[in-house]
Amino acid sequence: MGEFALSADRLSVKRGGLLALRDVSFEVRAGEVFALLGGNGAGKSTTLLSFLGLLKPEAGEARVLGQSAHDNVAAARKQIAYLPEAATLYPHLSAEENISYFLSLAGLRRDKSAINAALERVALQPAARAQRMERYSKGMRQKVAIALALLREAPILLLDEPTSGLDPIAIDDFNILIGDLARSGSTVLMVTHDVYGACQVASRIGLLRAGELVGVFDAPADGRIDTDAVHAAFAGRAAS
Amino acid sequence: MRTILLVAADEWRFWRRSRLAMLALGLLLVLVAASATLTALRVANEAEARALLQSEAEETYRSQPDRHPHRMVHYGHYVFRTPPPLAMIDPGVDPVTGQSIFLEGHRQNAAMFADAKTGATAGQLADMSPAVVLSLFAPLLLIAMGYSVMTRERENGTLGPLLAQGVSPLTLIAGKGLALASVAGLTLLPLVLTAAVAISKGETLAATAVFLGSFSLYLLVWCALIIAVSSLSARRASSLTILVVVWILLVLIVPRIAANVAASVAPAQGKIEADFAVLNELRSMGDGHNAADPAFEQLKANLLLQYDVASVEDLPVNFRGIVAETAEADLTAVLNRFAEERMATEVRQVSLLRSFGWISPALALREASMTSAGTGVEAHHKFLRDAEAVRFDFVQGLNRVHAEQLAYADDIKRSSDPEAERRTRVSSENWKVLEDFHFVPPPSDTRVEGALAPLARLGAWFALLFGLVLFSARGLKL
Repeated sequence: MGEFALSADRLSVKRGGLLALRDVSFEVRAGEVFALLGGNGAGKSTTLLSFLGLLKPEAGEARVLGQSAHDNVAAARKQIAYLPEAATLYPHLSAEENISYFLSLAGLRRDKSAINAALERVALQPAARAQRMERYSKGMRQKVAIALALLREAPILLLDEPTSGLDPIAIDDFNILIGDLARSGSTVLMVTHDVYGACQVASRIGLLRAGELVGVFDAPADGRIDTDAVHAAFAGRAAS
Repeated sequence: MRTILLVAADEWRFWRRSRLAMLALGLLLVLVAASATLTALRVANEAEARALLQSEAEETYRSQPDRHPHRMVHYGHYVFRTPPPLAMIDPGVDPVTGQSIFLEGHRQNAAMFADAKTGATAGQLADMSPAVVLSLFAPLLLIAMGYSVMTRERENGTLGPLLAQGVSPLTLIAGKGLALASVAGLTLLPLVLTAAVAISKGETLAATAVFLGSFSLYLLVWCALIIAVSSLSARRASSLTILVVVWILLVLIVPRIAANVAASVAPAQGKIEADFAVLNELRSMGDGHNAADPAFEQLKANLLLQYDVASVEDLPVNFRGIVAETAEADLTAVLNRFAEERMATEVRQVSLLRSFGWISPALALREASMTSAGTGVEAHHKFLRDAEAVRFDFVQGLNRVHAEQLAYADDIKRSSDPEAERRTRVSSENWKVLEDFHFVPPPSDTRVEGALAPLARLGAWFALLFGLVLFSARGLKL
């Protein structure tokens, strides 16, 4: 893996006829947790979809391991595990069936014990695992989607609002999990509007506003990013 | 290919867990199987009954006692059209055109005993042949099961995760298409089994292959249309609405419009009008029963000259028989001309109707199916011509007996002289001029060749819609 696992180079992307990203540039180093913060419609999900090669840039480029994601879609997606915002998996399938199906589509095979271990890791109750997901709460669906992302064992994780719908304990567990993954060498790009959660897990935070990257915060060598400073920037005022 | 199969298998898993999908599939399979069974039984019974009636009619005719040959001309005889083996699936025009003709001298009777007018079979289910059920309802089943194959992924938000696994849009669409095509294949299963029975009853492999191929291609056209619309639609409701409207247009409305256009552009004479036209022309010809008719003066003069005799009494042949033979030949020429004109009009109408197969795949299927099965209008016309050939041969055979075996002197006084009447009775051995009749549809090669044009229309539909599927795959958006 090169120095940058992901890089956006003057990236501009249109969605629904409107410019959703304007001239956005940033890099995510291998083994780093990078959080993109922003309000609704800031362009966070659009950034993730650009790295998946699902959106064609108007200008600039989204690169995965140095290669254009749009021009090398298959290669880019092999390196990425993607957790969508709504944790949309098939309601007519159980957690195990969903995971097994999506993994097989990616050309991966995991035995039942590995799937159960991943579901254990995200704390999904054993009794629920064989039930169809149409009966799952939003938080339960999110846990399954996280387990699927973990089982992909991809070097890069793209997480779209990963803690949305999770209870506080599950959020804490998730943050610990992300830290573990980063320490084991995984690169994480997560988008969220949860300032506190982002400051807890990210080594750097990018702030998106109306499709533009308006600031990047680095964690100091000995600690976490200052939540107040990020919150103030997110809210559009100076830190006290 | 592995991913395509995975996607297809998952689609089937979705359908298996959907009560509505399973109910719709089950209903159609029951309907196709029931109609295939009932139609096969009905056609088999009819084939047997008509063959039996045919041999009984021939037996009855030949077992008539010695009598005057012209009485046998008017005694008449029936011929029956036995349905070809693939009529078990597509009886074609058989239920509306009539299945037997009464053959007699001086007339060309229309075919009669159309089942559509006389049938009271199994609550009319037997009239709903497997061909009709499949052409009408299989597309509806495919729409019910497939309208949401792609829109569902988009609306549920699973399209993004699917593509994020590295599955290309084309692979995803191919998998969905394969699943839908397998549903189509399942609905064809009763047809394949019935076609196997048809082969065992003498149908050729080539005609059967073309027959089944046309149904397969028709259903593939619908699969491609459904996949394309589902891929291009943003919502399930719009996909369903578009597909149902297209079904109504292509399956119900365009065939109706086509039939009306065909009838307007190539109008056929009404029965009374046509009969009057024939009568009008026949009136100028001589009456074959009356040897003294002035219309036969020239014939008489020619015969006297040919045999170098002074009167018809001196002719070595019975002048009345010669008149009957000549009059029948002239009359038949006129009747044949009118019949050929009527059939040509029907062919023009059918050709116009068939040209609408470029607009409606249901019409293209109907043509391919009936042509390859040998149950179309061409087969009916062949039956009419074959029957007419039989009629003309036996009538003229009897007229020849009349001319050669009966003395003219006896013939002219048989009404007043019982002895003369007895002498004008010829041996019933002469009734053997009637040949056995067994209707055979046009040969397999002709039917296969005739089905190529509608198959090309279905192929054009499929190519067009396949292109639309490829286009939709390229433009597949979240």
